Amino acid sequence: MTRLDTWLKQATRHLSKGSVAQVRTEIQEHYESARETAMSGGATSDEADRLAVTELGDANTSNRQYRKVLLTSAEARMLREGNWEARAVCSRPLLKRLLPAIPVVMLLASLALVLTGEIKAARALLAGGIAMGLVFTAPFLPVYTPSRGRVFRVVRGVVMIGALVFAFGPGALKMSWLLASCLWPLVWIEWTRVSIRRKLRVAEWPKHLYL
Amino acid sequence: MNFKGTLPTLILEALAQEPSHGYRIAQQIKERTEGVLDFKEGTLYPALHKLENEGLVESYEGVEKGRPRRYYRITESGHETLTKDRAEWRQLSRAVTMILGEA
Repeated sequence: MTRLDTWLKQATRHLSKGSVAQVRTEIQEHYESARETAMSGGATSDEADRLAVTELGDANTSNRQYRKVLLTSAEARMLREGNWEARAVCSRPLLKRLLPAIPVVMLLASLALVLTGEIKAARALLAGGIAMGLVFTAPFLPVYTPSRGRVFRVVRGVVMIGALVFAFGPGALKMSWLLASCLWPLVWIEWTRVSIRRKLRVAEWPKHLYL
Repeated sequence: MNFKGTLPTLILEALAQEPSHGYRIAQQIKERTEGVLDFKEGTLYPALHKLENEGLVESYEGVEKGRPRRYYRITESGHETLTKDRAEWRQLSRAVTMILGEA
């Protein structure tokens, strides 16, 4: 393994395949130019090689910086598989028709429970119906600009929190530890999506990244 | 000497002269600062990608000495950022000089 290969291996750790190819190409170009310059200055092949790699600096520092601006393998996987639920639903016509009916059924059931005096269960169903309705209608909303995406995400966050508070009533604060432990995967996913949005140009965003 | 955070501005300044590729940008910065700034070339490309993600520079395929190379050019938004950065730097430099005095 050459000095450059060792440097590249360290500098591209945990990056996606596309990012690794991009880094390899640009660093290889850079290395060849640096090597040519050193050799035209009288350095031997080995000296030029060492000088060109030394000039690149610490590979771990570069790796940290690359991971801030290029997609990592985990982010690329999320981007690729981030809308698997939507694809799974859309590929089954029956499920595609049934799922949007669930929020409507929940809202009707909530109304029926109010009439029978089961207020607590009715609240939970109503909150669930609203939250699910928002999730199912999202792909059909005209959210295709970053600013609309931001507004949608804020509204969704507020509605979700509002629905939880509404469902649990005064006990919502007491249950917050349970909610926090259940919702942290969602927070982690949203955090990763923020990172992906920062790294990709808007023209490259798939629809599900706006939501 | 390591002036943290100045690399993006130096890159924009280099690209404001003419579109260029990574190696030439690195050489230009080193020559213009007479090697005073401690600048590792491996950190240049992450900075270029960040500028590209922010829409301050754009890249395109070019050829030099028969070899394909990725060139970068500054955008309109990059020019605006550079003008702002220059003004901020002059202000900061003036303020520090007022404290330390002209050497």
